[in-house]
Amino acid sequence: MSPMIRKLIPWLAFLLGLAYVGSGWFPKKLSPTFDYESFGKLPVQVGGRIKPLDSVARNNLLILSERQKATLPSEEPGGEDQSVPALIWLLEVATRPEVADRMKVFRVLHPQLRNTLGIMDDAGKVFSYNDLQPYLGEISRLREQVNEDPDQRDSFEEAVLRLNENLTRYHRLLHSFHPLGALDQLTLEYESYELIIAPGLAQLSMQQNGAPHDEQILNNFMAFADRYLKLSQQAMLRVVPPGSDQPVDTDWENVGDSLLRSIQTGSIAPTVLQYAQLTEAYRAGNAEAFNQTVQDMRASFRAKFPSEKFRVSFEFLFNAAEPFYRASVLYVLVLVLVLISWLRWGPVLNSSAYALLLAAFLIHTLGLFARMYIQGRPPVTNLYSSAVFVGWGAVLLGIIFERFFRNGFGSATSALIGFSTLIIAHHLSLSGDTLEMMRAVLDSNFWLATHVIVITIGYSGVFLAGALAVFAILRGVLTSSLDRKTEKAIYSMTYGITCFSILFSFVGTMLGGIWADQSWGRFWGWDPKENGA
Amino acid sequence: MARKILLFFTSLRLTVVLLGFSMALVFFGTLDQVNYGIHETQQRYFESFLVVWNPLPPFSDSPFARIGLPLPGGYLLGPLLLINLIAAQAFRFRWNWQKSGILLIHGGLVLLILSEFITDFYAEERQMWLDEGQTKNWAESFMENEIVLIDQTDPSLQTVYAIDADDLRSGQWIDDDRLPVRIFVETYLPNARIRRTGPNENIPPQATHGAAASMGLFAQYAPETFKDNEINADTAIIRIFAGENELGSWMISNLFDERFPTQTFALGDKTYEIALRFKRSYYPFSITLLDFTHKRYPGTEIPMDFSSRVIVTNPEEGVERESLIYMNHPLRYGGNTFYQASFANQDTSSMLQVVKNPGWTLPYISVTLVGIGLVVQFTLGLTRSRVIRNSRKKEVRS
Repeated sequence: MSPMIRKLIPWLAFLLGLAYVGSGWFPKKLSPTFDYESFGKLPVQVGGRIKPLDSVARNNLLILSERQKATLPSEEPGGEDQSVPALIWLLEVATRPEVADRMKVFRVLHPQLRNTLGIMDDAGKVFSYNDLQPYLGEISRLREQVNEDPDQRDSFEEAVLRLNENLTRYHRLLHSFHPLGALDQLTLEYESYELIIAPGLAQLSMQQNGAPHDEQILNNFMAFADRYLKLSQQAMLRVVPPGSDQPVDTDWENVGDSLLRSIQTGSIAPTVLQYAQLTEAYRAGNAEAFNQTVQDMRASFRAKFPSEKFRVSFEFLFNAAEPFYRASVLYVLVLVLVLISWLRWGPVLNSSAYALLLAAFLIHTLGLFARMYIQGRPPVTNLYSSAVFVGWGAVLLGIIFERFFRNGFGSATSALIGFSTLIIAHHLSLSGDTLEMMRAVLDSNFWLATHVIVITIGYSGVFLAGALAVFAILRGVLTSSLDRKTEKAIYSMTYGITCFSILFSFVGTMLGGIWADQSWGRFWGWDPKENGA
Repeated sequence: MARKILLFFTSLRLTVVLLGFSMALVFFGTLDQVNYGIHETQQRYFESFLVVWNPLPPFSDSPFARIGLPLPGGYLLGPLLLINLIAAQAFRFRWNWQKSGILLIHGGLVLLILSEFITDFYAEERQMWLDEGQTKNWAESFMENEIVLIDQTDPSLQTVYAIDADDLRSGQWIDDDRLPVRIFVETYLPNARIRRTGPNENIPPQATHGAAASMGLFAQYAPETFKDNEINADTAIIRIFAGENELGSWMISNLFDERFPTQTFALGDKTYEIALRFKRSYYPFSITLLDFTHKRYPGTEIPMDFSSRVIVTNPEEGVERESLIYMNHPLRYGGNTFYQASFANQDTSSMLQVVKNPGWTLPYISVTLVGIGLVVQFTLGLTRSRVIRNSRKKEVRS
């Protein structure tokens, strides 16, 4: 190999890695006709936070099925099953419940629960609402028997509870955009409701004053009010933004609440009407009307809250780019390359691995900053983000070591830690939104930025030192490629990183004590978590 | 001999052993916290010289329940670590610039251990419940109790005699020249269940005077609770004597709050109130709760913020200061720190945690010292290894 090519190969690896992680930020359109992407960027308020419908779709599908995609079985026997992205699944839930009910989204794994419900092994792991419908009575009966005390529940009871919660979640999602019923005539329903509000109110006050009144108008009006009251109790998402005179983080309304408030205002909120139009258009297959409505909705939100317009669509892009997933793929590649480099083609593979590692670290960093921007917080706020951050810190330290020692150890350990922390993070994300709001005690950017960051950097260092030592032992025991010089280098690397970790862990722990003193007057609350630290 | 003792106390081996025991103490203490709660565990494990960890839960019937693992407690380990640290620094480490980082680190650690002892002996935690609009100049403990005799003859000037109740035992005399009476503690229950006796029950009254006699109350032994959300209903039956003359017997309990009639007795021309209550601390200033607010994130039950707006008044010093107390932002006044701790009654009552800890600044200084020390030490180490490496390179070249 000529030296020229040897120099080129790592550069090529870097560019390819960059192209791979970069391509995520330019998602290709899901459909040439329907503008699904704009639907995914519509804002809603859930869990105290404003986020795009795309995040709602991904979070909920992940909670229900632990997957990013739903499966729509073919209607004809022998036909091919369709794999449906989360966003389209949510759109089907919103507009065509009859289709959504056929999609396989409920994961039921617990063997005892499957036995009780009589689900056979060959029936698969994930079920549609229609599949589960015959068992609904039995499931809610089992729910009644679950122990009230969370500490006393066994895994069967947990499984029953979870399935029940998931069914409720699905039910509440179905009711989040409009009342169920004649979905092709939603606008008509709203129109007649709007028309009956004034006369209905008039008849109501007459009835209350004991005056003669028109029973039919009153009953009609009350039926509407009753229907929307129920809807307001069931709807999960708050889809109707406040007026432009209020800050964007005040209470948004769900469809039911908004329809009830129409009794006072006399008119129906534009967002509610637009969701109805959107539903009708999608059901009729009218892409033009659908796209127009979605665009109008986004435009009116942007006009109302110009300061928020970028954040919501950025989160959509962040979801599509999957920076942490792509970074973890690259980390695996780096690890494989380094391991091979210890056996053959050392220098070239080693430099290529280092180049790929840089690309992976870049996207890891970008993902971290994207989360900080979306949440408006320092990087570590919960267990999920601490896993991401610990991995990030360890990779950074590993890169610095690799830069100095050039023996592959820095790359290998970084890649291993980067990959494993991101896998851990992925599993933590199955429980819901990872950008949740901070409870009152934790609601302090100063302490989140000092104590939490310092101590997690300490963790990063400890992980790296441990991984370095493990690699050194494995390489020394399993291969004969570990010479005295490398051994010495690893020793000083491990020693240095341990010193570094002691500094950060000590200062981080003490800052935690000081934070505790600031919040409730005790340096040490004897919390098992503190004792663990 | 003296040299041997010195060597023992300066040895690194002792440090490692002590740290090992400390880790074991923290570990087993954390396990026991499930059974005994935070305060009891702290007392057993850290405010003691010796502790025995039992693998079985308390009150177990198993014959193995008495088998346990003895461990040195915090009062043994702390001073030993302190001596070890100071001795090592004084005799083993050389005092020069190269070791200045170590000196700083050790200084910080000494300060940290000292601050823990100061906190242990002098810190005082109290709770102050305030309804909106209410003013108080006292706060109470949520663990310790006291028996009080209050001279009510002159309502404008109450004289309070307080007796620590936590070490009282049944059958004990409280006899002190400063008290106007002598008190015989007939029964003392660290926790009790108090109920009204039914009309058909033939239970002799436990006391001749006061609430127990008039309301037909009966106190029964109950096991002590260690749960954080439960309190121990300390209850006592006492007999009061003026000289040799018995005035009668009373039931007193920290369960008897404002809803119960005040229990009094007369002695000469004076009237005394007698009560058992959570230990109170009185302050030379008072706190008024103006407003309590509790915000949640929109559409969720996740608390976003609790805050109490209060006024501190100290007429003697002419102080009248308004302050907002909220999470991570306590009010510090008069050596006390007031934290937002809890709330009740549909967000109209607020509980402030009142902490007096004369050593509160020490950990702040300590962390700074150790932090600087670690940085100095590692920087010195780094430059030294670079110097060594460079000199080696020179050797190779020459």
